[in-house]
Amino acid sequence: MSDGTTLEGWAPEIGRGVSLDEVVDKAFDYRGNVTVVKTDGSETEGYLFNRNADAAVPFVQMFDLNGAGPYTIAYREIRTIRFTGRDTAAGNSYAAWLRAKEAARSGSAPPKGV
Amino acid sequence: MSLPVSQMWAVASYVVKQRLAGRKRYPLVLMLEPLFRCNLACAGCGKIQYPAQILRKHLTVEQCLAAVEECGTPIVSIPGGEPLMYPEIGPLVKELIARRKYVYLCTNAILLKEKLEAGLFTPSKYFSFSVHLDGLQEEHDEAVCRDGVYVQAVEGIKDALRRGFRVTTNSTLFDGASPLRVREFFDEVMSLGVEGMMISPGYSYSKAPDQEHFLRTQRAHDLFSRVLSNPKPRWRFNQSPLFLQFLMGKRDFECTPWGNPTYNVFGWQRPCYLLQEGYAATFKELLETTRWENYGRSSGNEKCRDCMVHCGYEPSAVHHTFASWRGFRDTVTATVTGRY
Repeated sequence: MSDGTTLEGWAPEIGRGVSLDEVVDKAFDYRGNVTVVKTDGSETEGYLFNRNADAAVPFVQMFDLNGAGPYTIAYREIRTIRFTGRDTAAGNSYAAWLRAKEAARSGSAPPKGV
Repeated sequence: MSLPVSQMWAVASYVVKQRLAGRKRYPLVLMLEPLFRCNLACAGCGKIQYPAQILRKHLTVEQCLAAVEECGTPIVSIPGGEPLMYPEIGPLVKELIARRKYVYLCTNAILLKEKLEAGLFTPSKYFSFSVHLDGLQEEHDEAVCRDGVYVQAVEGIKDALRRGFRVTTNSTLFDGASPLRVREFFDEVMSLGVEGMMISPGYSYSKAPDQEHFLRTQRAHDLFSRVLSNPKPRWRFNQSPLFLQFLMGKRDFECTPWGNPTYNVFGWQRPCYLLQEGYAATFKELLETTRWENYGRSSGNEKCRDCMVHCGYEPSAVHHTFASWRGFRDTVTATVTGRY
């Protein structure tokens, strides 16, 4: 994912130009924690690592913020998913590394990881 | 090729057994990822970008052994994450060796000296360190986004060799690599005394931050042809010579995505080591419910279009070796002559 493209902070409303399947797919691809809002009003926050839309009862799986789980939630129980956690894939590009390295060579800030 | 005869025999007899049993799809190397945590954050790697609670998780030794038992491959590769950060790495390797699995521990070697001095491992013909080196010092340090790692890795390699361990290297070659520098790199690596090298082109992870730096097919063929068309006698590769010919554009294979199945804290990864399109709870479920026809070049899947990575195509090369007398003859010829 490039530096400027992230879904961090996105809180879609299902049915308003976006389907549940699309939101689930984006949450599955997202490298940060999300909050699954269920139809009963309860919420589960954590990392959504799996989804299966082809199963007899389509489901997602996630680990919560403590790493406990996996918890399985059926699609039909989901009202929406909010992208609440930091996108760990964003803002970490190769170009950024080269810029930092160049800055280090010229005597300013050290490169990331050093 | 530099593989020990016993290892070649183990792989050959395993493949023949699978074929005699009429198995259409069988795995060759288990990619066992006990953790995602790493002490580097390389620009080309999409494996480590997870929230903290996921990076803190790791498999138990029992989970690892169950996965090994379940898929039954003769070779277990342990990437990650950085496996030397896995707290149970010593006991895990010991258990795998006891099961006569050929183990490749893929490491950036930053912690290698420390772990060797701690007596975590014992030399064995079943066990090899596979040290990540993407080029000479300048290229490698740039690839791993940290200065000084090349020097640490070389020190680790020397120490492991001195203690009697099998050591190989694994290298990802990125777009823009200089064939001359790569050849110098091969000279340098072989002069360290390693058993052999493993090479592969990079793959464009959808999560990897460096989308533009991965090799496209034709450029990859050009690079590997220029690097390998006149190989030096001292160079040894710890991989199928037919795969090297594939990289050079001399052969065409279809991907074997089930060849190197991946197991990690999420389960069995669909469909392969590189793509993450979901997880299965068991290896059987992975094999039986993954829509394999959706992957590989002939599928038209754009994610597979330019992929030439070892985890999909080396199993194809090994399969080809045992699929016909011609494949076997070609493998033996390339192995004996050292020409690709």
